[in-house]
Amino acid sequence: MKLKKLFIVMTLLVLILAACSNKNSSSDAAEEEDLDNLTDSGLPIVKEPIELDIFAGKAPATADDWNDVLIWNEYEEMTNINVNWDMVPHEGLSEKRNLALASGDLPDAFHSALIPVPDIFKYGQQGTFIPLNDLIEEHAPNFKSILEEYPEVEKAITFPDGNIYSFPLISDPEFSALRISEGPWIREDWLEALDMDVPETTDEFYEYLKAVKEGNPSGDESIEEIPFGAQTISGLVTYLKGSFGIGNKGKDHRFIDLDSDGESVRFYPASDNYKEMLEYIHKLYDEGLIEENIFSISPEQFYANAGEGVYGSTYNHSPAELFPGEHRDSYTGGLTLEGPHGDKAFTGIDFPSGTTGLVITSQNENPAATARWMDYFYSDEGAELFFMGIEGETFEKTEDGEYEYVEEIRDNPDGLTLDQAVAQYLTWPGGQYPGVLKEDYFKGAEGTESSKEAAEKLEPDFIEEVWPSFTYTEEENNTMTSVGADIEKYVTEMTDQFISGQTPLSEWDTYVKTLENMGLEQYMEIQQDAYERYLSN
Amino acid sequence: MAKNPARAISLNSRLDKFKKNVLLNWRLYVFLLPAILYFTIFHYIPMYGVQIAFKDFYATEGITGSPWAGFEHFSRFFDSYYFWRLIKNTIILSLYQLILFPLPIIFALMLNELKNGPFKKWSQTLTYAPHFMSVVVIVGMLVAFLDPITGIINHVITSFGGSSISFLTSPEWFRHIFVWSGQWQTLGWGTIIYLAALSGVNPELHEAAKIDGATRIQRILHINIPAILPTIVVLFILNIGSFMAIGFEKVLLMQNNLNAETSDIIQTFVYQTGLLEGQYSFAAAIGLFDSVINLTLLVIVNQVARKTSENSLW
Repeated sequence: MKLKKLFIVMTLLVLILAACSNKNSSSDAAEEEDLDNLTDSGLPIVKEPIELDIFAGKAPATADDWNDVLIWNEYEEMTNINVNWDMVPHEGLSEKRNLALASGDLPDAFHSALIPVPDIFKYGQQGTFIPLNDLIEEHAPNFKSILEEYPEVEKAITFPDGNIYSFPLISDPEFSALRISEGPWIREDWLEALDMDVPETTDEFYEYLKAVKEGNPSGDESIEEIPFGAQTISGLVTYLKGSFGIGNKGKDHRFIDLDSDGESVRFYPASDNYKEMLEYIHKLYDEGLIEENIFSISPEQFYANAGEGVYGSTYNHSPAELFPGEHRDSYTGGLTLEGPHGDKAFTGIDFPSGTTGLVITSQNENPAATARWMDYFYSDEGAELFFMGIEGETFEKTEDGEYEYVEEIRDNPDGLTLDQAVAQYLTWPGGQYPGVLKEDYFKGAEGTESSKEAAEKLEPDFIEEVWPSFTYTEEENNTMTSVGADIEKYVTEMTDQFISGQTPLSEWDTYVKTLENMGLEQYMEIQQDAYERYLSN
Repeated sequence: MAKNPARAISLNSRLDKFKKNVLLNWRLYVFLLPAILYFTIFHYIPMYGVQIAFKDFYATEGITGSPWAGFEHFSRFFDSYYFWRLIKNTIILSLYQLILFPLPIIFALMLNELKNGPFKKWSQTLTYAPHFMSVVVIVGMLVAFLDPITGIINHVITSFGGSSISFLTSPEWFRHIFVWSGQWQTLGWGTIIYLAALSGVNPELHEAAKIDGATRIQRILHINIPAILPTIVVLFILNIGSFMAIGFEKVLLMQNNLNAETSDIIQTFVYQTGLLEGQYSFAAAIGLFDSVINLTLLVIVNQVARKTSENSLW
């Protein structure tokens, strides 16, 4: 009867395993927080040390392990809060984050985790992320005062249920280089060689590209100049939208803007202006003025080409900071182009605050301490710590009160770039963190002289109002992730196809008709509601 | 049972026989145990998660606690604008791969005709080698070779006076590149089972045929092919079972907005919506739909094979 026993053991084993996997994880909600452990204000935050497990997205540019980085060790001593960072590289970030959220085995908070806005609301509604309104009121004085100063930020981060679920990154609205982040760049020495000025209209831009292709401005027969090159075509599209009168509410909205009546939301990828823009870009592509494999180029190859100095223009962060090779300093910032009907605006601007940043989960036992931990970075001292580090160790103040990194970082003996050198001590390189970004403390690619100069040239033509990402109710979200996602995917695909000529622009009417059949009306009703809700928030 | 005592007895005796059999050969059953456990734990138990395809999955409620949604996710998929495109692309790509099913057989027959020697060894090693390369590397090579400006293929085309072709961004080329690069990678490896089957052919048959004056081609057709036919049929059925399961990593790596017209398949769509957008229930519904099609095809083909050739999986 040995066999019978064996069967019994086996069955039991299977049942136990099944029972384990059935364990319901939602029951262990956070216990009531011990508020007595909190100090009254300032630092340290807690009397008895506590631990926090934080899930953090790791951008390629930032340090591999934040547990070993100067800033977090320092901040740990300042606050008495020990953070165990769980670093997740960007390549697998969405998968890992979604799996963590679905498994129910949650960290105390998510930091720099690129959580999409609809997801923040979805998990907020499900109770995975906790509402922060009361915590902000009671434990986040610095953040609260920023919200009072910029009510539009509060509007943007408040969800349809009236709650705030995340601590965002807020950038100083006056810091224009940061708000455009990517911009147009033109080869200055080639302009001289061709005896041309920086293009100011779409026609002049075309002339310049044409001249680069035909005029051999590099003076080197072995170099085959590429008039425009970038990692994707979308940069050029962003650049040109304002010249064709579309995209008038900024970069956060790739499909809608405000109609000329000033009241209703317009779906501009179905407008004649968009068609005209596509015709223009298609002409450039067709005549070989745009990198031929721009639709499939890998970042490595793009930078390899850039290092050879073949690009006559690009749409990117400052080439002086990013391009390899000797030609990186030869680029000058481009101007906003005036379109065929006199439209002239620069639309590639972000809303001064994101919605994503740091969220606190329902399994966090110290939400108030976590809120205060975060709040410090919304103060001036916090921003100084986050972006500049520690005086004497990573930065110095110059005589006129400016901040400057120490020489070892600015001019690294091992040949590291500024971002790489900084990443050994601080964690801001790579972006997507929550906090407040001010021009004084920020020395990244957007804070360099070349970026600031380029942004100043574009600034007079900035669109007046920038919309933040809208927030949707749960029901609206269901439509946005099905019908909406299909529509947006279709537009993105067709835009590339029209530009490459794979689908001729004579098919435009079919394209518009298809969009209507896909449920454009329903999509626009939701966008209109979301816009009106944003106005009344 | 009372109505048919004879049958009841035979059932009982069969059960007894089975018990006896198990007791007698219990060591063999112990050997079987790990495999049974593996399949139970990692393949059968997780199946209870399939129910999220019929639910609105909330992480906080867990799989069993989430509310039922019925067939909502399925109808959303069937109504989706991209539904027919996904189905069409998946089927065409699968069929294309299936049509090339005889290639490794032909190659194995050819290898089998070679004398054992360095040439045979070399050709086998050379054709096996690509099998061990990662998909990422393969796609990296494709991107490098097929680049419209710097790629070697386009260099050859332009040097013969043609104009360069943008292979990776044209929907017409996607399927050919995908399938043929896949063939290049798996051809050698695919011959192994056939070669093993061919080595089991009785040499006396060949000798007898030679004496009777049969040519090489005749011997292949009338001795080798019938000998490996059962293997071919079983492998074919297995292939059908994974008919709609295309190696999606490679498709994903080769995909871009311009070739999406032909490269958008069910699996990449599931990855996109499930893992990247976190719509688990919706993705589970699509995945389940896909599996049901595979299972149906498997059963049908198996049935046909059993009726026509007496070779089948069960």
